[in-house]
Amino acid sequence: MAEDLVLDTAIRDWVLVPLSVVMVLIGVLRYFVSKLMRSHQAPDLKVVKEGQVILRARNLRAAAGFIPAKSFRSRKTYFTNEENGLLHVPKGQAQNAQAQMFSDPNLAMDMMKKNLSMIIPQTLTFAWVNFFFSGFVAAKIPFPLTQRFRGMLQNGIDLSTVDVSYVSSRSWYFLNLFGLRGLFSLILGEENAMDDTQRMMQMSGFGFDPSRSLSAEKDGIDIIQHEWALPKMEKRAEDALKKLLK
Amino acid sequence: MAREGDRGASGGAEDDPPIFNAENLQSNIKSIHYSRTFLSIIGGVIAGIWGFTGLTGFIFYFLVMAAASFGLAAKAKFSICTYFDSWNRIFLDGIFGGLMSFVLFWTFAYDIVHIF
Repeated sequence: MAEDLVLDTAIRDWVLVPLSVVMVLIGVLRYFVSKLMRSHQAPDLKVVKEGQVILRARNLRAAAGFIPAKSFRSRKTYFTNEENGLLHVPKGQAQNAQAQMFSDPNLAMDMMKKNLSMIIPQTLTFAWVNFFFSGFVAAKIPFPLTQRFRGMLQNGIDLSTVDVSYVSSRSWYFLNLFGLRGLFSLILGEENAMDDTQRMMQMSGFGFDPSRSLSAEKDGIDIIQHEWALPKMEKRAEDALKKLLK
Repeated sequence: MAREGDRGASGGAEDDPPIFNAENLQSNIKSIHYSRTFLSIIGGVIAGIWGFTGLTGFIFYFLVMAAASFGLAAKAKFSICTYFDSWNRIFLDGIFGGLMSFVLFWTFAYDIVHIF
């Protein structure tokens, strides 16, 4: 029983469109504000050094086949030597790095700023929507849902016989919240959309990175089997030439 | 729409397992993402204007996504391994991300056109 409610065109003009426009504008505003407020963090020398060491170790692993066995072994000892090898991190120091990361005031302030800049506009907009746009049917979603969603989608409407497809403006707000992420990634370029959960995960993962990746690289180098590619080069050249001449 | 023309991602004369040029791979993946997002928005508007309701609309969305996958595969001349590291990138990646945008624009267009 799909009775077709006829809804006032004024609702279209004054509810749906302004809400979407406001959310788009707030998203753009938030992007620019976060760009302005990003404090310049001078990169820490120790962190950069460790990053470069990790890069070198990774290159060594990837290109192991191009150097003779003896030079590979000498490089390997340089990295993984127990006393002064670059990748060997004594246990005590490993724990310290993590604690330091979290008590570092700069990093904590940055995290807080980012979180706030996400949460405040959302809260404000939600309060605004609730205050102004409650108590009437705002939109009809084109697909049917079960009766369970009625409480969630129709919170301002107190008639229980209205189809669940007719939703209030709060659900229009949530629909916009999720759907505009794609639009933002198109407009603002390079995934500057609302990936707040991703960013929080990145921030919390930063503290663990240095010590763990060092030991991971060390294990990786220990494992690798050296296989010098030079003896096989003649065969490969022969195959390549044969393929060309065919 | 997918600017994949000269951006092969896997190296030619490397060792036997192909190594991927990370930058090119990233850029290819980004262009897939952009085209999918754009197509889901346009598809949503079309579905709303044509008045699809219920299951028909979702089927339309998956049809559009399948057409997009086919177009991307054709643009990559069907040799996926020169541009991407796995088949899933072309076919499955980003389908559910685009679903929310599709539903939003579908609802919007449907309301504006049909319940005006």
